[in-house]
Amino acid sequence: MSAPELVTVSVDGREVQVAPGTGLVETALAAGVEIPVFCYEPRLGPAVGACRMCLCEIEGMPKLQAACTLTATDGMVVHTAQTSEKAAEGQEATLEFILVNHPLDCPVCDKGGECPLQDLTFRWGPGNTRMTFPKRTYEKPIPVSPTIALDRERCILCYRCTRFSESVSEDGQLIARNRGAQSIIATFEDEPYRAPFSGNVIELCPVGALTSTQYRFEGRPWEIQNVPTVCGLCPVGCNIQATTREGKVKRILSRNHPEIDEGWLCDKGRFAFTHLYARDRIADPLLRVRRRGFEELSWDDALDAAEKLLREAEGRIVTALSGSETVEQAYALGRLLREGLGAHSALLPEETSPALDAFRLPLSAIRDAELVVVLGDEPPAERAPVVDLWLKAAERRGAGIERAGDALESCRRLADKRNVLGKRLRESDRAVLIWSGEEGAGGAHVAALARELGFGGKAGCGAFHLPSTPNGRGVADAWAAASDEEGPNPEPIGLLIVSGDEAASDPGVRALAEHAERVLVTSMFQGLAVGWADLVLPGTGYLERDGTYVNLEGRLQRLRRAVIPPAPDELAWVSKLAERFGVEVPPYASAVFAELSEKIHGGLAFGEVGEQAALGTRSEAPVAELPEKPEEGGDGLALVRYRALFSGPAVERVPELQFQRPEPEVELSAEDAEARGIASGETVTVSHDGTSLELRARISRELRKGVVRIAAEHAGELGGRVEVST
Amino acid sequence: MTELAGEIQKAAAQYPDSRSAVLPALRLAQEKHGGWLPPEALREVGDALGLTPAYCQAVASFYDMFQLQPVGRHLVEVCTNLSCALVGAQQVLEAFERELGIGPGETTEDGEFTLRAIECAGGCGKAVVVSVDEHYREPVRPEDVPEIVKELRGGD
Amino acid sequence: MGIDEITLAHADERDLTKLAEYEEIGGYKALAKARKLKPEKIVEELLASNLRGRGGAGFPMGRKASFLAKGTGKPTYLCVNADESEPGTFKDREIMLRNPHRLIEGCLITAHGIESEHVFIYLRGEYRDVFEVMRRALEDARKAKLLGDVTIVLHRGAGAYICGEESALLESLEGRRGQPRPRPPFPAVSGLYGSPTLINNVQTVATVPVVIEKGGEWYAKIGPEPSPGTVVFSLSGNVVRPGNYELELGTPLRELIFDLGGGIPDGRELKAIIPGGSSTTVMTPDQLDTNLDFNSVAEAGSQLGAAAVIVIDDRACMVQLALRSSQFYMHESCGKCTPCREGTRWMVQLLAKLEEGRADQHELDLLLSVCDRMLGKCLCALGDFAAGPVVEYATRFREEFQRHIDEGGCPFGGESSLEGIYAPVEQHAHAASAEVTA
Repeated sequence: MSAPELVTVSVDGREVQVAPGTGLVETALAAGVEIPVFCYEPRLGPAVGACRMCLCEIEGMPKLQAACTLTATDGMVVHTAQTSEKAAEGQEATLEFILVNHPLDCPVCDKGGECPLQDLTFRWGPGNTRMTFPKRTYEKPIPVSPTIALDRERCILCYRCTRFSESVSEDGQLIARNRGAQSIIATFEDEPYRAPFSGNVIELCPVGALTSTQYRFEGRPWEIQNVPTVCGLCPVGCNIQATTREGKVKRILSRNHPEIDEGWLCDKGRFAFTHLYARDRIADPLLRVRRRGFEELSWDDALDAAEKLLREAEGRIVTALSGSETVEQAYALGRLLREGLGAHSALLPEETSPALDAFRLPLSAIRDAELVVVLGDEPPAERAPVVDLWLKAAERRGAGIERAGDALESCRRLADKRNVLGKRLRESDRAVLIWSGEEGAGGAHVAALARELGFGGKAGCGAFHLPSTPNGRGVADAWAAASDEEGPNPEPIGLLIVSGDEAASDPGVRALAEHAERVLVTSMFQGLAVGWADLVLPGTGYLERDGTYVNLEGRLQRLRRAVIPPAPDELAWVSKLAERFGVEVPPYASAVFAELSEKIHGGLAFGEVGEQAALGTRSEAPVAELPEKPEEGGDGLALVRYRALFSGPAVERVPELQFQRPEPEVELSAEDAEARGIASGETVTVSHDGTSLELRARISRELRKGVVRIAAEHAGELGGRVEVST
Repeated sequence: MTELAGEIQKAAAQYPDSRSAVLPALRLAQEKHGGWLPPEALREVGDALGLTPAYCQAVASFYDMFQLQPVGRHLVEVCTNLSCALVGAQQVLEAFERELGIGPGETTEDGEFTLRAIECAGGCGKAVVVSVDEHYREPVRPEDVPEIVKELRGGD
Repeated sequence: MGIDEITLAHADERDLTKLAEYEEIGGYKALAKARKLKPEKIVEELLASNLRGRGGAGFPMGRKASFLAKGTGKPTYLCVNADESEPGTFKDREIMLRNPHRLIEGCLITAHGIESEHVFIYLRGEYRDVFEVMRRALEDARKAKLLGDVTIVLHRGAGAYICGEESALLESLEGRRGQPRPRPPFPAVSGLYGSPTLINNVQTVATVPVVIEKGGEWYAKIGPEPSPGTVVFSLSGNVVRPGNYELELGTPLRELIFDLGGGIPDGRELKAIIPGGSSTTVMTPDQLDTNLDFNSVAEAGSQLGAAAVIVIDDRACMVQLALRSSQFYMHESCGKCTPCREGTRWMVQLLAKLEEGRADQHELDLLLSVCDRMLGKCLCALGDFAAGPVVEYATRFREEFQRHIDEGGCPFGGESSLEGIYAPVEQHAHAASAEVTA
């Protein structure tokens, strides 16, 4: 007997039972029948029924129906083009109409070979054309932005791209202009499509109308390989495919993980990969030669030099980690330094805490929440971009999104039983807290608040902390697992080991280097290493590594090597060096993981991490404390310096992403701007304690009174509280 | 707040959702900008309603009454749909072409006139319908055209 | 005639734009009566009247109102479709220009019947004169405290035929490009702002006061069942006395054209009649005895549509007529769905070639095939409006179409009344006849 909540639908004579409300395209699929579509894409919101590719005959309805706009009802009898002559004619008509003005330039089209229009024409389309008139022509290709090219002749006006822009990323920048046969996809005044998720429209396009300028004419589908891996540029860890050709990464595509990214990818994740081929990429070890700068070393010599540095430091070693190392790299480095040299002192990129594991949720739970409170004044989009899409999805579904501002203060306020918002959080079964800012104690504060609000016992309630590094948690745990011993912080520092590019570009690490006798840097780029390191060992990027990352949900995910790095990777030389200090560290991620897994992952096998990694269950963690009462503010406006999404060593090396870099501007609330007589776009002076900067003012609807925001790269020496004046 | 923004917000107050005021807002902006919508007009409308200028352009370009190119001081529109066509719309249109020295879709060099053909204006009972600056003249015969142009040239 | 005019009653002898005059002929009495009735009683009367929509589709208003979703927790909206744009139609303009209060009264009664406090009148943007009249009338009604708790917003369109399609009208009213929505959901369940919405044409709503005043049963008895009542016929084209005629449904076509309209001018012969606006299919002189009601016209193979009767004399080339009509639909296609967007353009290309005498036999067949591939496959009715009439032009005037091929040119030799008619779509960059090169 069927469960009462299911309905029975007949598709081409095959009966299938689905939940009522299931889309007809999905229902047919469940019956093993494919209904072809172009415009239909459930992730873009309600179906629009525009392309008419999915025309079907439904018994009881006189006209052909667009299957994508219908949902399954009990007793529905559907005849698709495979069994209904009428539907087949409808489908052929649609394809003919789509093709009347579509240029058949498939041989030179990037989409060729992976094009839904090609595939559906091959399977269902007419074999010839009856169109005898010249096809519609346009100037082509048009740069929609430095990363996206538009060929309007190929466009079939399915409106996927504009629907994405309007209803998913909500940037409202890519639009349809004009009407009828004159309709075109465009941006305002042909200005660049500048929005953090713009690149998704390339993947959404079912033809070759929107293509990647990076991938244009770079490869044919039969010459490429797609490697499933995980993005390593922010703590979300969006699932991606790296397309490679002849050992080089050519493009990055999304790889839908419904709990993490829903198949969306930010432009940094999509386009920043070309930093692998930056002009200053380091391929060989470099040794500082007094007065003459640097010279390249062979690997054997480099290992000797490294061994020498390590021995001479006599254990007075500090290691600065980036938070972008794989779990395995951090563990191997930890074994070498801590076990082999007793060098326990590490400078971790940020604080981490296991406290949030008790309130764990998949990111998709944000969309399903009824109430979301964002603590902190940093835009989530800058720290963990996909989180912003989940927030927008939640808002579209009617959730309340509260931006609570000052995280420390809000945390204390919400914990108060008399607080109204706090009360709503306590009463909700689907509430989510998101800490988006500094001083979160690695999630410990928001975990303490979640506990206070009773989230522990409610499966739909949880909390997130948006870290500033992609794998800070994984690195910290791996380093900790490498040894049970402890050691003092050395003074003076004999050797500072700088692991990776983020550490190498951190001003704090640079300052520490001033007090170190010797500096060893691993980095991908000369620009980050040359000038202050005594020895530079080439670093690798996340697309060149095997291993695991732990994302902000606490989910362990697998990185797969998409391309071979230009030099031996970190694990290889750590393993060799370790041998010289009597420590056995395998050079393979799988073997390192196996060893570590026994200690912290309950013996999970490397192969079981999975291509679509599961989220671990909630686990109890030590009780965290609510933050202390923050210090009183003082005069002026509180400055929030944030690291912009489109910044950092990788982005800086991708010419076509420069237009996405943050503007030299200061964001103010409308009230603060009005009180100071400042208009949007005006040049203002931002000052603090004698230092001052000229920036353009922008009035932000989201920002609260008393706070100003400046991207760190434009904030100079400013800090604390500032004043803004015209 | 600019005068235009104030008027737009007043219009928006009539609707449960301010987005509904896009058409009235674009109309107000067009009036303020000499009969067409330059990019800055679309920006102003967007700012007033919390929409992107791109969105405003998408909407404006869908409707025939919004002009995205400069137009003359007088907009002369001749209906050439069936009912008017059957009783001589083409002759009326050609009379305007002769009198103004421009074709449909064009603006005179002195910026005085833009001539357009339009679809059914809803005055079929008094064909041929000519709309001058959004006011209908009906019916118009070819021989009326010189007088209309003269009046407009001499007017104001 | 068996019945006086309803929506235009007394408009000839009085200035009904003035509230006082309107009240003198009994105006707003039906509203007072309605407000004493329970809302469901209003809908019952509408059902009993069998008043069918006058916008073109002819769906009974009472049934539409009874479909409105109840208990949704959302407001119910009434939208009046005053975006009159069907070529040949000018009745709503006249009703609103000359009898604005009748429409306002109809709105208020209907709003009461469907328990709505929010009425939007989506007025065709080009109707600036109507806008001024309606605005003044609304202001007077407001001052006279006739509106009660109801707000009536006069919303001007901006030039797009498609916004007369009800779901496109809602999109446009929500501040978007006026592109139709897929249905379901129907507006009665999820219309304006996702709320239950009733949408009716101006004349339909303006008829409501008399239905309430005299009762649904009374109204149902006017004219032939099942399409009772009066209709304002918009008569235009090659006819001596064009204009609006409010007549009982069922009036013979001959009576309208020859008795009331005065026949064909200049001693010409009647060649063809478009009975309901350019989206309806053409009729021929042998069908003059057809009664003008929904069913009789349907039996004659056409549609009453918006009751816009366009009279065509023997000077018109039917290929030119079909071309000009297709150019209109190409211009007005919203561009959302494939068959309409591409099909209307292709039709124009083929018809233009045919008119120029450059088409071969195969291309005439292709034209009919293109029409066939549009019919019944588009998102809204516009595709059918474009293709359906052309099929009939080419069928009923097959010989004339054929001569364009056989003679390698237009048989009218430049003497057609539609010769060289210029279409607005040619003002656009991508008109079929104005190809740009890259």
